Amino acid sequence: MSLLTMILKMSEGLGKTCAIFFLTLLFSLPLGMVVALLRMSRSKIISSIMRFFITVLRGTPLMLQLLAVTYGPYYLFGATVARNKLIPVVIAFAINYAAYFAEIYRGGIESIPVGQYEAAEVLGYSKFQTFMRIILPQVIKRILPSVTNEVVTLVKDTSMAFTVSYQEMFTIGKQIANSQTSFMPFVVAGVFYYLFNAIVDYVMGRIEKRLDYYR
Amino acid sequence: MKKILCMLIALAMVLALCACGQSAAPAAEEKKTFIMGIDPEYPPFSYLGDDGNYSGFDVEICQAVCDSLGWELKIFGVNWDEKLVQLDAKECDCVWSGMTILDSMKEAGYVISAPYYDNTQVLVVKSDSGFTSSADLAGKIVAVQLGTSGEALLNGDLADLASSFSSVLTCDSFLKCFTELEGGAVDAVFVDLPVAASYVAGKDNLAIIDENLGAEQYGIAFRSSDAELCAQVEAAVAELVANGTYAEIASKPEYAEIVNNLIFLGD
Repeated sequence: MSLLTMILKMSEGLGKTCAIFFLTLLFSLPLGMVVALLRMSRSKIISSIMRFFITVLRGTPLMLQLLAVTYGPYYLFGATVARNKLIPVVIAFAINYAAYFAEIYRGGIESIPVGQYEAAEVLGYSKFQTFMRIILPQVIKRILPSVTNEVVTLVKDTSMAFTVSYQEMFTIGKQIANSQTSFMPFVVAGVFYYLFNAIVDYVMGRIEKRLDYYR
Repeated sequence: MKKILCMLIALAMVLALCACGQSAAPAAEEKKTFIMGIDPEYPPFSYLGDDGNYSGFDVEICQAVCDSLGWELKIFGVNWDEKLVQLDAKECDCVWSGMTILDSMKEAGYVISAPYYDNTQVLVVKSDSGFTSSADLAGKIVAVQLGTSGEALLNGDLADLASSFSSVLTCDSFLKCFTELEGGAVDAVFVDLPVAASYVAGKDNLAIIDENLGAEQYGIAFRSSDAELCAQVEAAVAELVANGTYAEIASKPEYAEIVNNLIFLGD
């Protein structure tokens, strides 16, 4: 198999890798905010439930979570295993990443001095307005580097979808490596991931620059 | 100056190491030498190991056979396409290297040992699915385990069969393949017969389609005049099986993918 066919075959899987990546971000970024806000809730019950949720998701391997989401329903209730593996894969990834994002959001929100809330109250802002117009814009600026970190990790984590037989780029690479007894597919995969992350880096850098007002 | 000195020392060390490799024991005269013909590129049966020596399942078994018979083992890497010619030319005494037994070999008069490895592949389906042959699975999804002979067959000799399926799902363990099947995500699992038999045993919901796909067995080839030698080797192997050495070698992690198909270890 020539290098070109290898690259072409693996780029077929790249679309599926991208699907995991974008859908995960689409769901986990907002979900993380919900979790973060509930985690900071005044109600002890809600905040401890969320705390538990976060410790479980951060404290167990993503690979196990993928297996649990994909095959768990079958083993527990005899439910059908999904034919389209993208659904369980995205559910597992989105929940897992939401837990990490939630903690990043919380760190950002808690870093804003209390004085700003007080000032906003004096100026007659409602709680919602304070959060949306004063707190959140600052939070986003502050947490962006940490979020970039997670996004970069996500690109590489997509390869874990292999464990539930989702045919993304790395899965195909492994198959080629096996049938051709060649190490080349792994090199190709490495280059693909690097290029993907170079783009992520560039985009996130641009966003950071755009938000870099007042400095 | 120091650098040059260092390099010289390094060179001397490397040469010393080379010398170690060269100092293979000279053949003891009274010992019978048994020359094993192998394909040096057929892991895990026979291959050039990391340490530069020939290694692999067949090599280890042959070494054990020679040890028990008091022979000295020599290994000869054959040109696989010409293996039988080289056997006739007495370049080696046998061809023992994951060799598929072909009827043409027996017809040509070669002495072939009893098969020791069963490479038969089968399809496992749900018993209520109504599938009875591989043809019924046209347009269906079939799971196969990555890195198994089944996967290799679907990419090679059985590519036509593979293309009749709607897709082939590659799982990283056979348990996942079967979970996909039982969970209804795939319609069949393509797997080694021994693995299929042990998994399906005692399960009413699964059935093996009675059709041997890619059926082949491995054996050892000897020259037509060496029936006695073949019997000697077979007897020695049988002894290794009986005293557990065979199972011990087969249980090494590097042979995990072939251990289920070894005929002598079947129950």
